[in-house]
Amino acid sequence: MDQFKAKFREEAGDLLAALEKALLKLEQDFSDTKVIEEVFRVMHTLKGNSAMFELHFTENLTHHLETIFDNIREGKQQLSPEILDISLASIDHLRYLLDDETLEAPKGRAKHEELLTRVVALSLDSSAPVSANDAAVDQRGGLAKTFFITFKPKPDLLKNGSNPLYIIEDLHALGQCKAIPYAKNIPGLPAIDPAVCYISWGILLSTVSGVSEIHDVFLFVEDDAIIEIDLLGEGDFFAKSAFDVAVEKMKAAAEPLGLKQVKQLFEVQQKKEEKENAKAKEQQISSIRVSSDKLDKLMNLVSEMVTTQARLSLFVDQNHNAELLSISEEVENITRRLRDNTFSICLIPIEHLFVRFERLVRDLSRELKKDIQFVMEGGETELDKSIIESLTDPILHILRNCIDHGIEPEAKRIATDKPAKGKILLSAYYTGAYVNIKIEDDGAGIDPEKIKAKAIAKRLIPEDAALGKAEIFDLLFVPGFSTASKVTEISGRGVGMDVVKRKIAELRGDIFVDSEIGKGTAMTIQLPLTLSVIDGFLVKVANTHYVIPIGVIDRCYEIKRSELENSLHETVTLDGQRIPFIDLKNRLGHAETPGDAGNKALEYEHVITVYYNDKKIGLVVDTIIGEYQAVLKPLGKMYKDQDTMSGATILGDGTIALVMDTAKTANKFLSENNLKTV
Amino acid sequence: MENSTISTSSYLTFKLDQESFALHVSKVLEILEVTQITKVPQSPDYMRGVVNLRGNVLPVIDTRAKFGLSSAEFTVDTCIVVLDITSNEGAVTLGALVDSVQEVAEISNDQVQPPPKIGNKYNAEFINGMVKREEGFTMLLDIDKVFTTDEITFLRESGETLPTD
Repeated sequence: MDQFKAKFREEAGDLLAALEKALLKLEQDFSDTKVIEEVFRVMHTLKGNSAMFELHFTENLTHHLETIFDNIREGKQQLSPEILDISLASIDHLRYLLDDETLEAPKGRAKHEELLTRVVALSLDSSAPVSANDAAVDQRGGLAKTFFITFKPKPDLLKNGSNPLYIIEDLHALGQCKAIPYAKNIPGLPAIDPAVCYISWGILLSTVSGVSEIHDVFLFVEDDAIIEIDLLGEGDFFAKSAFDVAVEKMKAAAEPLGLKQVKQLFEVQQKKEEKENAKAKEQQISSIRVSSDKLDKLMNLVSEMVTTQARLSLFVDQNHNAELLSISEEVENITRRLRDNTFSICLIPIEHLFVRFERLVRDLSRELKKDIQFVMEGGETELDKSIIESLTDPILHILRNCIDHGIEPEAKRIATDKPAKGKILLSAYYTGAYVNIKIEDDGAGIDPEKIKAKAIAKRLIPEDAALGKAEIFDLLFVPGFSTASKVTEISGRGVGMDVVKRKIAELRGDIFVDSEIGKGTAMTIQLPLTLSVIDGFLVKVANTHYVIPIGVIDRCYEIKRSELENSLHETVTLDGQRIPFIDLKNRLGHAETPGDAGNKALEYEHVITVYYNDKKIGLVVDTIIGEYQAVLKPLGKMYKDQDTMSGATILGDGTIALVMDTAKTANKFLSENNLKTV
Repeated sequence: MENSTISTSSYLTFKLDQESFALHVSKVLEILEVTQITKVPQSPDYMRGVVNLRGNVLPVIDTRAKFGLSSAEFTVDTCIVVLDITSNEGAVTLGALVDSVQEVAEISNDQVQPPPKIGNKYNAEFINGMVKREEGFTMLLDIDKVFTTDEITFLRESGETLPTD
């Protein structure tokens, strides 16, 4: 039973997340019936599941919430901000209930009672049905038919004392009705005769009544108008999601549409709909839940496989045997595919992370009384699940800063000609071998001078320090630095940005700040795509092997040693471009390695050009060995102070190669001089 | 060693230069032959590099350099002692390069003398005590402390000149 219960908890967590997302969506658009349906469905599932496990508190609360949404769904109750608030609060409480299902803590019990009373009050508050007829139609929904009526009054209809609007009103009494007026025939103002009816209507009517009852409505105008009543189809077309689109299309048409055209509109829309539904169903079946432990194990096994395969390749290289070679190549191929597949299993869309923030921004902005529009882009961007888990706190912190310090109070925003509503944009996108997560606000921005002054006051930098903008912004990440002059509850305790930076560095990522006073701030977190296995290029410098991630490599060149030695500012001309280079042998301290004397005589050197920010730089290496799949192993705490190498990998012969972080290597070794020449 | 009752513990003794040192066997995981060590750039001199320990990366510390002694060529006796170190940041596994490993010795706590305050060229902070044995004094190392400080101040400042990091 316990294992089922654990499963229930896991599932309930997912359901609550889905619910939260749906509710937030609903907040944007109260009339979205699809979402209301979804909310109801999720509530219903939750109720059912918790009843099965005899979790009465959960069952009770969800039951009443379900009732509310059932009423809304059926149009018996209006959705209100209050309902949304209480629903969101209930979600929080339900999460709590998952841990403390018997409500042993008195605090939880009190909260439960309070929420329950409020929910029950709301569910009873189902004010009189919005429309008696609607309810009637719904109740007998199975019998409803949808008609399409063309109503073209003759010009002298009005003269006979009939009012077409009354007729349309009568039609509304029969059931759900939508009348689309066509006003194309109205002449210019001078020619208009107020006693002439120029307008015609296309009417959609869903009703349980028959054709004769509809005809009765038109009884008195039969002779003064062209009336066509046609059956569009069985069932209530108003409930179909295709309805809105079809109505829009009908509105857009200049002329009243014929029955055939209207039918077509619905059919086309219907088919699209069905296709999508079918797709959604397929997706449901084609995905399974796997515990992340199992995935981790799988990933480890694949890593070992890759390492072992490297040994096999090496062995084959040394022992020439054609048959063995072909087997080894096949194994290599399969290993690579296995690795890619396993890796992609461990990737999850960043959306999962984003949804959590949506709620946070909503709550915080209310608390601080700041109206904020929160936009998320690139939720489909995929990232290793272990990275995503470690990202929550840093992004949370940055978002808090944005809301608390970044976005100004409304009065101030209006005074500075900004829209009263603040905006925070959270976006994710790929660049090369990296995933970027950008958090932008259109708030006050960060004043570099203020940071500098504060850093000097705090003795973090000398008074005469000459710093560029980027360097100043980097001060934000220095431990003990906090710009908020007033410490608030939400942010500004002075322990923050340095922790953010450290956490991201642990993921082999980096964070950049850009800000303009009065315009806003953008923080970009750059992360490697994966933490475990990377495709790289194996090279040799002196007697050490290095792996350069293939994602950053542009191309390889062979040039004369003399060309490097005679270069100006350590730049070299490749394909007509001047490119700064880093002589790895000198820079990485291999120059004086014993037994290396022979290498000096090399006439030719290899230069690998790699992307660095939006530029290219060259890395000078002794030998290029070839492509290599590297299983990344951390260098460990003993090497925490060095950052040019992101890890190590074990080669086929058991020796170790170092995996280079080219961006950080470039940061370290490119001098001001040769950067200027780029 | 603070205990007043007599108890015996096993210590691994090893040599650096001419001196004999000992560390508690509970800290020792295994002893490896020296293989090819890959030097990691941008690291202190005493960080000799990394080696492959059955598929994992093991950082290797040049104990001579760490203790401020002059470096020596590898001999057949040179080996890597794999240690489990407890630091503030949790457990770390590392390898310590030593000139030669001697033996596992049983040392009872009544044999242990406090390190002399004067005339000792080693920093008492890293030494739990000294034991007189046939071939001279052996120093019992507080190995957690030795390998978790970044400095090379094992030798006393007053004793000999030493390079500071």
